[in-house]
Amino acid sequence: MNKLFSSVNKRLLSLLLVIASTGTTFAQAQDESDLGKVFHIGVFIFFFLVFVVLLTLISYHNSDDGKVPTLVKAWRWINEKMTKATPIDQEAQVMLDHDYDGIKELDNVLPPWWKYLFYVTIVFSVIYILNYHITNVWALSEGEYKEEIKLAEIQRAELMGSGAFITEKNVTALTDPASLALGSEIFKKNCAACHGFKGEGLVGPNMTDEFWINGGGIKNIFRTVTNGVPEKGMLSWKAQLNPKAIQEVGSYILSLYGTNPPNPKAPQGTKWVDVASADSTKAVVDSTKKIETVKK
Amino acid sequence: MQLETFRYDNTIVKKFTLATVVWGVVGMLVGLIIALQIFIPELNFGISFLTFGRLRPLHTNAVIFAFVGNGIFMGFYYMIQRLCKTRIFSDLLSNIHFWGWQLIILCAALTLPLGITTGKEYAELEWPIDIMITLIWVVFGIQLIGTILKRREKHMYVAIWFFIATIVTIAVLHIVNSLELPVSFLKSYPVYAGVQDALVQWWYGHNAVAFFLTTPYLGLMYYFLPKAANRPVYSYRLSIIHFWSLIFLYIWAGPHHLLYSALPDWAQSLGTVFSIMLIAPSWGGMINGLLTLRGAWDKVRDDAVLKFMVVAITAYGMATFEGPMLSLKNVNALAHFTDWIIAHVHVGALGWNGFLTFGILYWLVPKLWGTQLYSKKLANFHFWTGFLGIVFYASSMYWSGITQSLMWKQFTVDGTLQYPNFLETVLQLIPMYIIRAVGGTLFLTGVIVMVYNLIKTAGQGTFIKEEEAQAAPMDKTPTRLKGHIWIESRPIRFLILATVAILIGGLVEMIPTFLIKTNIPTIAAVKPYTPLELQGRDVYISNACNSCHSQLVRPFRSETERYGEYSKAGEFVYDHPFLWGSKRTGPDLHRVGKKYPNVWHYHHMSDPRLMSPGSIMPPYPWLFDNQLDIASTQAKIGAMRSLGVPYPEGYESKADADLLKQADEIVLDLQKAGVVVDRDKEIVALIAYLQRLGTDIKAQPAAK
Repeated sequence: MNKLFSSVNKRLLSLLLVIASTGTTFAQAQDESDLGKVFHIGVFIFFFLVFVVLLTLISYHNSDDGKVPTLVKAWRWINEKMTKATPIDQEAQVMLDHDYDGIKELDNVLPPWWKYLFYVTIVFSVIYILNYHITNVWALSEGEYKEEIKLAEIQRAELMGSGAFITEKNVTALTDPASLALGSEIFKKNCAACHGFKGEGLVGPNMTDEFWINGGGIKNIFRTVTNGVPEKGMLSWKAQLNPKAIQEVGSYILSLYGTNPPNPKAPQGTKWVDVASADSTKAVVDSTKKIETVKK
Repeated sequence: MQLETFRYDNTIVKKFTLATVVWGVVGMLVGLIIALQIFIPELNFGISFLTFGRLRPLHTNAVIFAFVGNGIFMGFYYMIQRLCKTRIFSDLLSNIHFWGWQLIILCAALTLPLGITTGKEYAELEWPIDIMITLIWVVFGIQLIGTILKRREKHMYVAIWFFIATIVTIAVLHIVNSLELPVSFLKSYPVYAGVQDALVQWWYGHNAVAFFLTTPYLGLMYYFLPKAANRPVYSYRLSIIHFWSLIFLYIWAGPHHLLYSALPDWAQSLGTVFSIMLIAPSWGGMINGLLTLRGAWDKVRDDAVLKFMVVAITAYGMATFEGPMLSLKNVNALAHFTDWIIAHVHVGALGWNGFLTFGILYWLVPKLWGTQLYSKKLANFHFWTGFLGIVFYASSMYWSGITQSLMWKQFTVDGTLQYPNFLETVLQLIPMYIIRAVGGTLFLTGVIVMVYNLIKTAGQGTFIKEEEAQAAPMDKTPTRLKGHIWIESRPIRFLILATVAILIGGLVEMIPTFLIKTNIPTIAAVKPYTPLELQGRDVYISNACNSCHSQLVRPFRSETERYGEYSKAGEFVYDHPFLWGSKRTGPDLHRVGKKYPNVWHYHHMSDPRLMSPGSIMPPYPWLFDNQLDIASTQAKIGAMRSLGVPYPEGYESKADADLLKQADEIVLDLQKAGVVVDRDKEIVALIAYLQRLGTDIKAQPAAK
């Protein structure tokens, strides 16, 4: 609940404020996030409902004896203009000679606003079909998707280039309790299903021993988690976990070494010699080499 | 002219009134139970019959066909006699209609919890029941046309037009959508597959809303509202225009349920534009209703009947504005598969159908029993609890739908999904689900108060079995009538014209989708299901997994990142029926195949919380006990071949061996992971099916 209000709600509220203050953001459709779109629609529906409720309330007061409040007079005037209805006291003029079990029928003209609304929706429909299927100026589902992916790739490339990104090359193992706790959370949600809640291994290999199929050490783990090893059933997590999260979960996995959980799965892969007694950079170099030897 | 004396039959009205009230309470109670199960999965008590997936169709069927259905017939039998100034066509047919319909409902209530279902939304009932529905509907049609033909009032009132449109359209929809090939007494496969099945299904689904929940209720509104308000109908010409435009345009709008799906784009666009064009025709009904109350608003303040009707008509206006908005692609991208849709349909069901029915009941019961309403106070109490119930229900579901959709789509600055774990987006919604259940409780409380009030009302009066009336016989001398009056005085021609109007849209959308090959590009790598997978698919259908899981990845980055490649039309060509689903209470499953090991599925089905802590999916222990119905394999393979699935001739004889071989492989794999299971249990077949889902195109990534 807290999270709900803190994450989504704040953004929604701020957007609402922005919309309320500018009022004309409809024009900037191009830059809008989905969030913005919803809120435009939401605000529109909200005002529409308020409008309906107000009208109903005002109509409700129609019958108050004697005095007619200004608001009601104004509404009646608008109503008259919008519906062109024959006033109730002259309704005999439009009364048809229909009588169905006592139900009579008037023959008021079609309310102009309604008629024009109908025309507008028809014009909209023609434009819609033209733009999507005849002139093709609007992209259909597939085109829209390709555009979205292209944009995402550009953004990702920019981020990678900026150096602010953790990559396989510069990742380091974290040891602070806060990061490990985050890593543990990520592990439970995403990894435990296959590797066991304590990393004892289930379908996937044991994470607590010193044997690694795709190489031990933070850099190898980072790569394995990021890209996955599809042929062995290991998923690629790069779409679901950001590099920081992969670093955290990788560090957590390293921290499981030697915890001896119950029901451990038998070791798989090659024994990874931890040269961690030396400095971490060296260990990394070693680990890469190690992989190469295994491949040979 | 000599006046003739005749008698209206009220007994049939009374029967349908009772049925409406009883099924209303039952349907809403089941709704409340599943609303609670969403956040307390244990409320199924570990029994398959009481599980969400199976109760959800029971709820929708009970509310639509039992509550609203009986409501339609209740109002119909009362007003048709009076509008035609004659007794109902046949008392015998009245009774066949009544008992036949109740029998259908009873069959539904027995088969759906048992998992006997076609898997097609709002058309879940199996083929023998489908046939019963057809027959009873024909009886209803005979009653309508027969009564009209012996009418004493030449010009048919607008309420009757709506009933004529209802009769023909529902008949067409039901028959076309229910075309299925029986495999056994209670199992069949629809003749359509994949995209085509989806198109037919949502042409049906959408127009069931249009012609079962809308047009007959507009008919009722046109009779009971002016009666209750004692005011003339606002505009006859508006009636004409909005009636014809409504029935013509409505039928086209079905594909708006399939936006961003594998349905061809042109059909999706037709769905969108016809939905937009529907705003005015729908609102025509609202305007004609609300403006009929001109000069009677003072009555609305005191009269519970009118209060219910005003809210009903307003809810109709809101829902028919929201529907077209939801048909816009950008709104749909957000709302589809979420609780927003649940909110939308409940504004219609609780507000429009519910409140209009209540208004009619409060007006009709005192009339039938020749008395006054027992308690106006209780009726007003019902009004406010019901109204509050709708507000709680709708607002919580709107909030829930938008929240979840935004969470699904949210990316971090790093370009990864902010909430990659689907469950996280579900757990955010629990408070909303609780509020929804509170809303449902309020609504149901109001209904129970109404039941008490109506019983008391009936108790203080005496039921009037027959009502005497007088009218002059119809003037049969030929007169020159012009234009619409001409057509409105000739029921058979009216019926034919209405049929033409409602056929055009469906034909234009279906014929090309069925006949033009480019609409569904084939994918060579897509092969028919193996016998075990086919059986597993039926286990999936029987447990109504599609109540909560979609099988349709839409072409959005947020979905392809989460689930995998978006769904292609060619992937579904052997899916009888299609299982795209309409709501994601759980994640999409189209690409779940090979994503997890077999043992993951095994544990997950035995206790979902083992694999996904906090999951709201109930455990499925019976899958581990139930024997797979292997004996049916041959018949199923044969049926599928008749429907065009390319199993080789004579494959039936090998099917069982293949089935057992695949089952053994899975059993062996599970054994390696430390799980022992018999090869002939349902769970093995289900795992086989889940592991196959969406994997065919991976064998040939460049799908064309």
